[in-house]
Amino acid sequence: MTQIELRNIVKQYDSQDQVTLTGYKGEPALNRINLTINDGETLSVVGPSGCGKSTLLKVIAGLEYPNSGQVIYSGHDFTEIKPQDRGVGMVFQDYALYPTRKGRGNLSYFFEVHQRTEEEEQARIKATADLMGVDFDLLLGQIPDTLSGGQKQRVAIARCIVRDPNIFLMDEPIVNLDAKLRERTRIEIKKLLRQFGITTIYVTHDQQEAIFMGDRIVVMRKGNIEQVGTFDDLYYSPANLFVAQFIGTPPIAVIPAVIENGQIAIETTRWMLPPDIALPNGAVRVGVRPEGWRLDTDDGISMAVRHIERIPTERAAFVIGAVAGAHTSIVAPVDYPMREVTRVTPDWEQALFFEAEGETVLHTPGVPDLF
Amino acid sequence: MALFPKVGRNQPRMRAAWWVLVIFLCGGVALHLFPFFYMIALSVTPAHEALSPTPVIWPKEPTLAAWRLVFELTTRTSMDTAVRDLMSFPFYVYLSNSLFMALMTLLISLPVTSLAAYANSKLQRGPMARWSFLFFIGTLMVPGVVTLIPSFLMTRNFPFPLPSAPLIPGTDDPFPILRIWDTPWAVIIPGVFNAFNFLLFKGFFDTIPDSIIQAARVDGGSEFNIFRRIVFPMSIPVYAVASWLQFGSVWDSYLWPLVVFQTPDRIPTSVAISNLMNRFIQAGSTSAQQAAAQTASMREILEAGLSWNGLMVLGLLQTIPIFIMFIICREYLMRGIRLRGLK
Repeated sequence: MTQIELRNIVKQYDSQDQVTLTGYKGEPALNRINLTINDGETLSVVGPSGCGKSTLLKVIAGLEYPNSGQVIYSGHDFTEIKPQDRGVGMVFQDYALYPTRKGRGNLSYFFEVHQRTEEEEQARIKATADLMGVDFDLLLGQIPDTLSGGQKQRVAIARCIVRDPNIFLMDEPIVNLDAKLRERTRIEIKKLLRQFGITTIYVTHDQQEAIFMGDRIVVMRKGNIEQVGTFDDLYYSPANLFVAQFIGTPPIAVIPAVIENGQIAIETTRWMLPPDIALPNGAVRVGVRPEGWRLDTDDGISMAVRHIERIPTERAAFVIGAVAGAHTSIVAPVDYPMREVTRVTPDWEQALFFEAEGETVLHTPGVPDLF
Repeated sequence: MALFPKVGRNQPRMRAAWWVLVIFLCGGVALHLFPFFYMIALSVTPAHEALSPTPVIWPKEPTLAAWRLVFELTTRTSMDTAVRDLMSFPFYVYLSNSLFMALMTLLISLPVTSLAAYANSKLQRGPMARWSFLFFIGTLMVPGVVTLIPSFLMTRNFPFPLPSAPLIPGTDDPFPILRIWDTPWAVIIPGVFNAFNFLLFKGFFDTIPDSIIQAARVDGGSEFNIFRRIVFPMSIPVYAVASWLQFGSVWDSYLWPLVVFQTPDRIPTSVAISNLMNRFIQAGSTSAQQAAAQTASMREILEAGLSWNGLMVLGLLQTIPIFIMFIICREYLMRGIRLRGLK
């Protein structure tokens, strides 16, 4: 089994559109990345597009070599090792099936280039087909172009697991599927990962997927790792404003406020802060999660309601509007009546506090003790 | 029919436009086929009629005499000495020269060009890739005629494009040279790298997603294995197009073989036919005696039934290999399209 460690990885992008005749334009795709992925762990990597998460995966796979820094596999320096010799299995966003080979041919390429015996190849393909489900044999006889998206994706995953890889690398493997299929495939992949217990890095831009797949989650932005941790870590004690805003749907409401001698004021409305939140006087910004509000309070600030989004399956609704000019969503009972204006109060125990300018976190509630 | 939408094709205006388009395209087809038809018509025209100043669309009395004569001429079996001496060697000699040069060029040039394009498209990175791409296609921007004389000198003293090989510094001995002048290699070697085919291959390889090659790398394939097992099967249609273009250009090349070949039994068909034509049209000479002799032999040839009609027969013979090549390549082209799916 494999533990992966990245030390000070710097990668300057050199895809075609980044290259001019004299050099590169743009920032490095990875900027001094340090990261450890434990043996058997599934690590999700999320971030907005262009944040370097795919590049991170390629550096781990050896498809891109870092400009500086080290890639360590189980204590061995693999920085200069070719991808051919790393023994990784990778699933690509566009599946990357070999178009001229049938499903079986896609699976057998690994055995052909490694001079394995025909028997081993057949046995492994059969074992993989059994693992992938009853109708998988049908896909093996078809050219990739005749397969649907979901089928292609299954062949791609089978191609990845047929060789018994040291690590799985998944680059947004299910982003091209429709919503329903995505849901199902997500569960299937999770099941497979649990079955194998192989170190996995799962890149996605969908935080729901990241939460579902990953034991830990990495949030990236512009080539930097902003925070690594479990979902609760990221949600309740984000490292900065970016993480707080990126994690959570609907997003956190960030409202300018002023603290004065244990009192907090948003616009002209004032509240007493709980005594355990000790913050210096001055301007701050308050971050309140959708579930961190109390509705219809007497001392509340007025909120202009834009609309109410009801989710019957969750027996809940989101009241969407603006508090002090900031976009705000609030969880409410599903039968919450529509009205123009309502009065709301942040639950100060759950609120996050940020600097008035910049992204630094002043106070977070921390992970709640649920049990 | 991508030109015309299927929806609403039955509307009167659409139908009228459709037929206008059909007629226009038919005109285009006729325009392209007419020279070919004229060649065939002239090849079955009697010699005297072929010489008449009014153009012959279809002869009054079609005859295969020219074909028979050309057969005798090309196999040098004619009883008539004047006809027999028109060509110094049987036609198959020239044909095999041409074939050898064309196939040899294909055999060397396709791997070289396609691997260069693959390397430039998928293996080279960064500014270096851009520079080498510009360098390679830059050869397209120099007209062939400009490099004619340096190339000629180069075939004399390969690899120096100089009138004579330079001396090794400090000695009186010249550098060793390879004289490829007057050999088929003088035609084959300059054709080894074909910038246009490079562009064709590069354009295709650029459309192959990087992820496929990366997937193959992760699977453990060496770079050459990936090319051979994954990329090459995908590229068959491009190879078909490239080989057809290359074959045609070598087969039809005239000026360069004319420059580099001296020995009469080494020339390709294009030069041989043009030599023959020259003997028809420029029966001029410096001495009256020679001129008279030439005129006499010309008359004899004409009486034997050979004039432009014979040249047309030779011209048709010259086109046949390109036609065959096209049919072969077309088959692969179609197969490739079926394999990859038309999207």
